[in-house]
Amino acid sequence: MSNTDYTLEYSKKPLPGKVFTIGIILTVIGIALLAIAYSVDYVRASFNIILLFSFVASISLCSIFLIALEYLAGAVWSVPFRRITEFLASLVLILPILALPVLLDLHTPFHWTHLEAIESDPILAGKRPYLNETFFVVRFIVIFILMSLFYWIFTSRSQKQDLSKDQKFTTQNIKFSAIFMLFFAVSMTIIALDWLMSLEPHWYSTIFGVYYFSGSVLAALAVVTLFSVILNEAGYLPKGITEDHYYSLGALMFAFSNFWAYIAFSQFMLIWYANLPEETFWYIQRGEGSWLYVSIGLIFVRFIIPYALLVSQTSKKNPRRLKFVSIWVLAAHFYDLYWLIAPNYSKDNAIFGWIELGVIILATGLIIVVFNLAAKNRNLIPIGDPKLKRAMEFRL
Amino acid sequence: MAVDYTQEAPVIEGNYSFRDISDIISKPMETIPDKKYFIALGISLSMFGVGILCWILTFVYGVGKWGNNVPVGWGFDITNFVFWIGIGHAGTLISAILFLFRQRWRTGIARFAEAMTIFAVINAALFPLFHVGRPWLGYWLFPYPNNYKLWVNFTSPLLWDVFAVSTYFIVSLIFWYIGLIPDFASLRERTKNKIKKVIYSIFSLGWRFSHRHWHNYEMIYLILAGFATPLVLSVHTIVSFDFAVSIIPGWHTTIFPPYFVAGAVFSGFAMVQNVLIFIRKIFNMEDIITIDTLEKMNKIIIVTGTMVGYAYGMEFFIAWYSGNPPEQFAFLNRAFGDYAWAYWIMVTCNVVFPQLFWIRKIRRNIIIMFIIGVIVNIGMWFERFVIVVTSLSRDFLPSSWDYFKPTLVDIGILLGSFGFFFTLIILFTKTLPVVSIAEVKAVLKQAQPSHHGEAQNG
Repeated sequence: MSNTDYTLEYSKKPLPGKVFTIGIILTVIGIALLAIAYSVDYVRASFNIILLFSFVASISLCSIFLIALEYLAGAVWSVPFRRITEFLASLVLILPILALPVLLDLHTPFHWTHLEAIESDPILAGKRPYLNETFFVVRFIVIFILMSLFYWIFTSRSQKQDLSKDQKFTTQNIKFSAIFMLFFAVSMTIIALDWLMSLEPHWYSTIFGVYYFSGSVLAALAVVTLFSVILNEAGYLPKGITEDHYYSLGALMFAFSNFWAYIAFSQFMLIWYANLPEETFWYIQRGEGSWLYVSIGLIFVRFIIPYALLVSQTSKKNPRRLKFVSIWVLAAHFYDLYWLIAPNYSKDNAIFGWIELGVIILATGLIIVVFNLAAKNRNLIPIGDPKLKRAMEFRL
Repeated sequence: MAVDYTQEAPVIEGNYSFRDISDIISKPMETIPDKKYFIALGISLSMFGVGILCWILTFVYGVGKWGNNVPVGWGFDITNFVFWIGIGHAGTLISAILFLFRQRWRTGIARFAEAMTIFAVINAALFPLFHVGRPWLGYWLFPYPNNYKLWVNFTSPLLWDVFAVSTYFIVSLIFWYIGLIPDFASLRERTKNKIKKVIYSIFSLGWRFSHRHWHNYEMIYLILAGFATPLVLSVHTIVSFDFAVSIIPGWHTTIFPPYFVAGAVFSGFAMVQNVLIFIRKIFNMEDIITIDTLEKMNKIIIVTGTMVGYAYGMEFFIAWYSGNPPEQFAFLNRAFGDYAWAYWIMVTCNVVFPQLFWIRKIRRNIIIMFIIGVIVNIGMWFERFVIVVTSLSRDFLPSSWDYFKPTLVDIGILLGSFGFFFTLIILFTKTLPVVSIAEVKAVLKQAQPSHHGEAQNG
């Protein structure tokens, strides 16, 4: 291995139009399904919009997080994949569209908006300074503006660097990354609390923000891994990305699977052990009827199976395995969010039908469409990044 | 400043041969300690002596010598226990987790951090042992077939602590020792003293630097690192369970496990940074334990410090949000009650001061970073004090509310624990290599496969 011979051979190839078309079709089908859902089962549809929103928010915000993490940690191996992460981060820009149906009608999914219920409920009345419609919308807008701003800061500098190869952009982005992390931590927490935890306004858990974060990072990593492996195998990325690069993606997914399990276990264990009725009812509800099987299934789907699939070193390097695990992990994140949200509209038994399927179709379509739009006219790797040469030579 | 991102920053500064590295690291063990060493040892031994005296008083008269009262059944003892366990955490984080993340800057500091872990855990284990009241029956904590036909209380997190801490101690010790084997072999080859040679030979287990040895060594090191990683997280998680599984307001909150782990790493890094500042100066290791390394440690301190700050904020917010009056009272009482002074010491030391590390100059200034490190450890000690004492002193029955005041014995034991810790560290620096000789050699320029320069001597 030598550190002088490598020269980057990269010329931009446009992504195949076929994929974009598929994305458009999926999006249209998804929108149609949800539109029908709104007319057939209004309540269930509005909860499903929250499912869609929290799923896409996970991927977009945590993609920005992964970009910032690379800058802060000085990571080298991930540089060839950063553009892919940046494209996925652009999903942040469509968040208001996804949130709009819910923001227009907070009354249906959120019990705390029911003024008549609050009157007879001093606990909910006490939460009013935080849980009220205006503040909810304001929080969302502020988070959206902040996150879009950071998205723009990181990606615009990264783009400029493609042309100028100026190292100062890296230095600037490192500084912004540190500031971003503070806003990100608060934003993720607020989204988790507002959009997921407050669906059951009596319930509370201090770890909930971390819980949503742990699963969301996994989802973002999974999409990045999936797209990276597919694009590399199809020859869209320059030659030289090896299993050593894949290994790090796999290792991170493995680490965050364990992290999620740790956080989920901490939350469950402490609530189960202390056995306080004001906390346990949330888990009890998820043990009713067929929800019990969904809850037990979550342990396997989200932790045990990904753990087994990724535990060996060879599996973390195997592109086929990685593709499979990424899709699995994404599905598992959806499963997790469904488990958080759906018991609020289907209390007795778990239901899964064409409406939930519509969310999956729409989310898939949106990811493909937005990725394609973002990737248009842009290089698929950050060719001006000063760390790129080292990154291509990265070996374990 | 201009950083060149196209080049990897070297871990070790300066131009050293393999021989130079062996010389620098072995020197403290091959020279007779000077006067300053004995003064330092004398001071820490005196502190330790005070501690022993107070332990004896506790042993003879019982825990009544402490300030613990009803309802504050946990006072300095548990505070100190959690504090020292926390100090130990940085060791495994640096040696195992940073190893798994392939962070090569850990090389210069891993050995010392691991040693510190072991000393801190021994230190910590003493407190619950004495806290049980009859330390001579401490072995009752282990489940073994006995003629009383009694089992230990498996449902108590205090018992899980016994298992977690003892497992952690054993694995840390093995991990530390495995890393030392190649260094023992180096020392064996260097020494001319016959007694030392015998000792080093025994501990080096016949290490001959063969390829096969290195191959096995790297494999076992990786496995142990993988094993130690969940273990280190589990230890402080279980320590947090001591509090969080209960229903005491201010203790029962779901963020405790990750929050305790972050806090432990936070204080542990501050302690490692503090002691290394002296070691690198006294033993001329400034090129091995570089300013860059210290800066990276300071970055970890600010990250974990901010995580701890997030947990404080979250606890406070959710206490209000929960609408649960005892919960709300517990937090207001922390911030504005009898122990408000301790609470605000904790917040200033843990959340406010570490923020100075945002400034690069401060991250690289030895004196200021030392002071901030000390402040962090004061803050983290008070964090445990605030958690333990404020919640207990205001329990569910207002008629039994009481104020906890430490006695001289409490303070003596705290002082003694620092004396014990520093005594072990001071002895360690002269008996074993404080930096791994083998690992530092592996990160030198000439050890890299891409190195094409002249072969160097040594």
